[in-house]
Amino acid sequence: MMRPTASQRLDLWVRQSAPMALTAVLAVLSVITVGIPGYAAVVPGYTAMATFYWAVFRPDLQPASALFLIGILQDALTGMPLGLTAVSLLLLHALALSQRPALVTKPFLLTWLGFVVIQLPISIFAWLMMSALQFQVIGPEPVLFQYLVTVLGFPVVAWIFVRIHRYVVR
Amino acid sequence: MAKRPGSFSSVAQPVRSLWSRFAFATLIAAAFALMLLGKADVLMVERARVVVLDALAPVIEVASRPAEAVTDMLNNVRDLRYLRAENARLTVENDRLDRWQHVARRLEAENRALKALTNFVPPRDLDFVSARVIADGGGAFVRSVVITAGRRHGVTLGNAAVSGEGLVGGVVEVGENYSRVLLITDLNSQIPVVVERTRDPAVLTGDNTRAPRLVYLPQNAQVVPGDRVITSGHGGVFPPGLAVGMVTAITDGVIRITPFVDWERLEYVRLLQTGADGVVQPESAHIPPFSVMGQETETRSRGVLP
Repeated sequence: MMRPTASQRLDLWVRQSAPMALTAVLAVLSVITVGIPGYAAVVPGYTAMATFYWAVFRPDLQPASALFLIGILQDALTGMPLGLTAVSLLLLHALALSQRPALVTKPFLLTWLGFVVIQLPISIFAWLMMSALQFQVIGPEPVLFQYLVTVLGFPVVAWIFVRIHRYVVR
Repeated sequence: MAKRPGSFSSVAQPVRSLWSRFAFATLIAAAFALMLLGKADVLMVERARVVVLDALAPVIEVASRPAEAVTDMLNNVRDLRYLRAENARLTVENDRLDRWQHVARRLEAENRALKALTNFVPPRDLDFVSARVIADGGGAFVRSVVITAGRRHGVTLGNAAVSGEGLVGGVVEVGENYSRVLLITDLNSQIPVVVERTRDPAVLTGDNTRAPRLVYLPQNAQVVPGDRVITSGHGGVFPPGLAVGMVTAITDGVIRITPFVDWERLEYVRLLQTGADGVVQPESAHIPPFSVMGQETETRSRGVLP
């Protein structure tokens, strides 16, 4: 067996780090101002979608440490308590991973349904944590809207992930 | 990638799995620890936030340009349709404003004369810097924006941020070139205000909805929908008299105001430099980082409506 050349290794490295790089880009994208009324309040959880997708299809390319860093980064950007998104992403990753056999190699509709089910406790957890950190119950409506926008937007964003999965990551 | 022969991985797998579990638990614990440290207003966490913000804001700034261009274009197309009607409306409004200007001039002269009569000490003029809004805090829990001005431009904690329409919020994080403004609709925002017509003092407290609440009004306050609310300047952080919003809903004793600021078209803000860095510093524990009310805020903010 031939040892891969330097350029081959670099190529492989770039391909394999694409998922995490993409998730980091999505974390930055989620704070970009868009002039849609009410958009800022219900930005879809792009990083959650990405985390779920890669946890199901390529968990080997999604190390927990990278997720942790991306979560911290997103918290710092959005002004949320540092660590909240990190915990949410890690739990989402673990939950998705535990249900992976039931989700992978199934029709896309089932995978989507899996996301709808798995993201719910994560959203509730984030809401409870935030309420606890604020010492008061936060109105549940924004969280509910964000959950709905996130799970409804999943097929659109997943379509892009599938392309990247197929042609970049391989 | 094909596995190497003599599979080392079959031996390594259980160990790695154990290790990855341990790493996972450690990361979760670290994240929780960070949250608690952040809640305790540890200076280090605040500094870390500012460092990340300063490092990444240029990226956001670049990325926000195309998004802004698309938004502008969409707005232009939308505006074209209403051009004629808008023109007619503006002509009428201009007539009305001309009359107002006349009244205002007369009142200004009268005001000056009366001040001269009573030896009134005028408030000093405020310096300000203008900055572009490059990011609005995503998510369901926080209402804040990142702006392109920081310590280098003279921004300090607690500076009031205003748009053309009214008060936007207060500065809560100051980086070298970028800062974060907590909007008046955020859960942690509490601003001393007065009802313009009745001069009733109150505190405007956000709850992450678009319409913040007016609390701690005096018992006998007679507030009605349509009343304008302005900053009172109490606490000495925000200058008095900044337009904040209008009372729009009074239900079950909960008074909500609609801010004058057009949140969807918030592109530039002005930061008013009062000079008095009145915001409570993170070092003094037990106080939320953004509080223009000082020591009493935390206990009072959890009280019930009067």
